[in-house]
Amino acid sequence: MSALAFLRHPTVRRVAQLGAGVIFIAAALPKIADLASFAGSIHNFHMEPVIPVAVVNLLAMTIPWIELLAGLALISNVKPRAGAVVYTGLMVVFTVAVVIALARGLSFECGCFGKAGAATLGTKKLLENLGMLALGVVASTERRA
Amino acid sequence: MDRWWSDGTERGGVLWGGVIAIVATGAFLGIFQNALVRAGSKEDGLAWKYEAPKLETLEDIMAKQNGGSAPPTPAPMVDPNDPLGIPAGVTDIPDVGRPIEVTVTKVRELVDKKGAVIIDARDAPEYAAGHIPGAINMPFDEVITDTARLEAFDQQGKPILVYCGGATCELSMKLGYALVAAGKTKILVYTGGMPEWTAMQYPIEQGAKPEGA
Repeated sequence: MSALAFLRHPTVRRVAQLGAGVIFIAAALPKIADLASFAGSIHNFHMEPVIPVAVVNLLAMTIPWIELLAGLALISNVKPRAGAVVYTGLMVVFTVAVVIALARGLSFECGCFGKAGAATLGTKKLLENLGMLALGVVASTERRA
Repeated sequence: MDRWWSDGTERGGVLWGGVIAIVATGAFLGIFQNALVRAGSKEDGLAWKYEAPKLETLEDIMAKQNGGSAPPTPAPMVDPNDPLGIPAGVTDIPDVGRPIEVTVTKVRELVDKKGAVIIDARDAPEYAAGHIPGAINMPFDEVITDTARLEAFDQQGKPILVYCGGATCELSMKLGYALVAAGKTKILVYTGGMPEWTAMQYPIEQGAKPEGA
């Protein structure tokens, strides 16, 4: 079995979907419970040139719910591929944000999993993100009817 | 594709329809949740427009205490014979129950006259490479969840000055709030941090001096 075939295997995909779903639900719930901290975390990234500061709160209220729904779709197997695409898209955005912040030498907690998972940005966080991103790619592969 | 919910076989328009549905529903729910919370109590919800947290500066607070627009007059000096007190010549810091922002001039004064206990909130290697003279290293990551350590911290009757090295020093602001929560008073935050201190070519101390040494 080639590596590609392995990654497209239905069981591998399903496991990836369940993993990604659990990650997103675990990330979403603490943020929904404490939107204010999450807003602060987003602001810490200082994406002002791209994202105006004024919309930080709007992002803080919507992103966790989108994560939650994508996670539920992945776990429940209802539109799991759409859930996986949303997951992967968000992971790309998060990873790019982490890379830019690291390149600018910013040092703060990412707030990625709410306050409890107060990991400070660093190479470890980046590797973690890349791993979660890879999981999303596997989860997004198409299932042939 | 004969089931609306599909199970991973969706593609093309159906796939993107699902993606848009998830994003739109999520966004709606998030805004709806916040609207509901705000309907109950405005403080509990998020403002629709974000405003960056800002600390009041020492000058603002002094000006207010001196009666609105009046220029700040020198604050009362602390008894120079009190060994735990603030040395004479350093303006006393008001206790306002939240961190206060200070500028580099004030920091220099506090450093020179040893008028404050200084905390460097950066990681140990950054601290060892160079810090404000006399500063104690309390890496943010280590202490922020360690309430006991913050509570046990001895401020020697002096104000506590916190700084770090980020572009805007949010860590020091957060640590400032944590210190207030741990019962400490007169917390000052030097938002300019190490980058500004270095740029001013002010004295720098090197080496890993442990906390309390």
